[in-house]
Amino acid sequence: MADLELRRLCLRFGGLSVLEDVSFAVNAGELFALIGPNGAGKTSVLNCVSGLYHGEGAILFRDVEIGGYRPHAVARLGIARTFQHGELFAQMSVLDNLLTGRHARIRTNALAEMFGLPGVRREEARHREAVERIIEFVELERYRHAPVAGLAFGTQKIVGFARALALEPTLIMLDEPSAGLNRDEREDLARFILRIKHELGITMIWIEHDMQMVSDLADRIHVLDYGRTLAEGPAAAVLRDERVIAAYLGRAHARPAAGAAGGGAPGGR
Amino acid sequence: MSRQPRASGYFRTSYQADRALVATRLERAMLVLFVVLLLAFPLFASAFLLDLACQVFLASIGALSLMLLTGYAGQISLGHAGLLAAGAYSVGILFREVNAPFWITLPVAALVGALLGLMFGLPSLRLRGLYLAVSTLALHFVVVHAGAEYETRRGYSTGVIIDPPQIAGLAISDPRAWYVILLAAAAGTLLLCLNLLRSRTGRAFGAINTHETVAAALGIDVARGKLLAFVVSSSLTSLAGALFAYYRGFVSVEAFSLFLTIQYAAMIIIGGLGSLLGALLGAFFVTIFPYLIEWALAALPGAQRRASEFFAVNYAAFGAVMILFLVFEPAGLVGIWRRVQSYFLLWPFRHRPLTGARK
Repeated sequence: MADLELRRLCLRFGGLSVLEDVSFAVNAGELFALIGPNGAGKTSVLNCVSGLYHGEGAILFRDVEIGGYRPHAVARLGIARTFQHGELFAQMSVLDNLLTGRHARIRTNALAEMFGLPGVRREEARHREAVERIIEFVELERYRHAPVAGLAFGTQKIVGFARALALEPTLIMLDEPSAGLNRDEREDLARFILRIKHELGITMIWIEHDMQMVSDLADRIHVLDYGRTLAEGPAAAVLRDERVIAAYLGRAHARPAAGAAGGGAPGGR
Repeated sequence: MSRQPRASGYFRTSYQADRALVATRLERAMLVLFVVLLLAFPLFASAFLLDLACQVFLASIGALSLMLLTGYAGQISLGHAGLLAAGAYSVGILFREVNAPFWITLPVAALVGALLGLMFGLPSLRLRGLYLAVSTLALHFVVVHAGAEYETRRGYSTGVIIDPPQIAGLAISDPRAWYVILLAAAAGTLLLCLNLLRSRTGRAFGAINTHETVAAALGIDVARGKLLAFVVSSSLTSLAGALFAYYRGFVSVEAFSLFLTIQYAAMIIIGGLGSLLGALLGAFFVTIFPYLIEWALAALPGAQRRASEFFAVNYAAFGAVMILFLVFEPAGLVGIWRRVQSYFLLWPFRHRPLTGARK
């Protein structure tokens, strides 16, 4: 069964067409990579699913149309996401960031909270326990009480990743999780992504520029260019596709220049 | 709520304990000492100092509730004096018209505040920053106008007189009793705010303040969160206004000028935005500041002849202090307090801890 299905999704800002007839279906438990050059509309796809943008066409989550949902309602269905630039709550501790990510799962109301009723205290402790399991999963134990603003960028990205996990999602959308990470951190990230796939079985849509990682990890790849679908399929086939190479990957003979200009992103293989 | 920096060697064994407001023995001892000192104060204080303390407690309630709204949820409001007036007039009108006792007037005042908060919180769903501030300004003028209208219609042209509240047939008019009541009210408000901020709703306020879009994508209903911030803050403010009316025994529109709103804004800025301790420090500072200036001026030679100018000097000094804080200490009094704290915590070393200097 498809977990998430996009049917002929179109998005326009005034005269600018951002997405045109984008359709794909992500299967349950699949690691689905979304790639394409800058400005191809990858993040816009995530924003449409999140309910931050409302396009035309249908977005189905487990056969329920969610195209008109408001963002918080989408999140409450169990669709979590990370952001390209982290977008953490800098003044909060790692723990509070994760608990905020868990907002939709916590069942207390403001009045009971103000009076600190026993039910609230139990609920807080229960969710703290759940959050601790996630902290352990992504190995952030040393930083749990640290304010996020003081952490290294790589660690912050992992916190953003953990915050999405804190929702206990069934679908998680990762927006360039590896951007700005060094080699070690990328290896950690790859390990976490694989553990999520195999141990938690969460469906993932993954925007990525590191083609090495994508071809190693992704089950299927969907390529966007100027808001249109260019190709879709298993990694090996898609990355050999002539159109994908022309639009995004570039050719091996232009290697030195392309490698430098791309900032280490796609490069030749 | 992230916590204060602590020395090492302190461990917790349960999540409940990690969430406790007062955790170590030393903290508990300090708190007890502080409460004892506060309770002993009226035994020695003069009537003037007692009144000043009561004013500080009332200001604390107002500042805490404004801090909740502006310092934590990030919603700017200039309707604060209007809300205080709404609470005060709820008491005044209910007492004058139906002779209602305090256990009716106080809940009604809180309810009126909540409704006004809901109504004037609605623009926050569309407007931000300065635009929101201006729209909340309407609240001030509506309430103050309604209050003035009530006064003239009913012939209370100089203000509404309210008898002291009665408990078991005894009228509360002793300043010491008021001191204890207002202290308890301020402490209660502080506890409510602390509890709210370390729970789901408080974290949602912080998320909305930092980044609305991200908050929404995490599952936080931003519109609901903002309105909730307005409702909670406004009902607490209105309660402060109601207590003010009982304490003074008198309600009049003159007491709720726009300058009062500015004073409350000054409290949370001078105290330090985003900190409940800051709200308390700010309330203390802004309340006693004019008395300090007056006292200092009176000590100058030839003060008698210039007494008429004290007022102007006071205003100017207030403005100057506000500017100095904005320029030199944007973190406010609480920023100074934290620096002193971490100096002693780290002594004899001077380096700031890497993850320390926490808010």
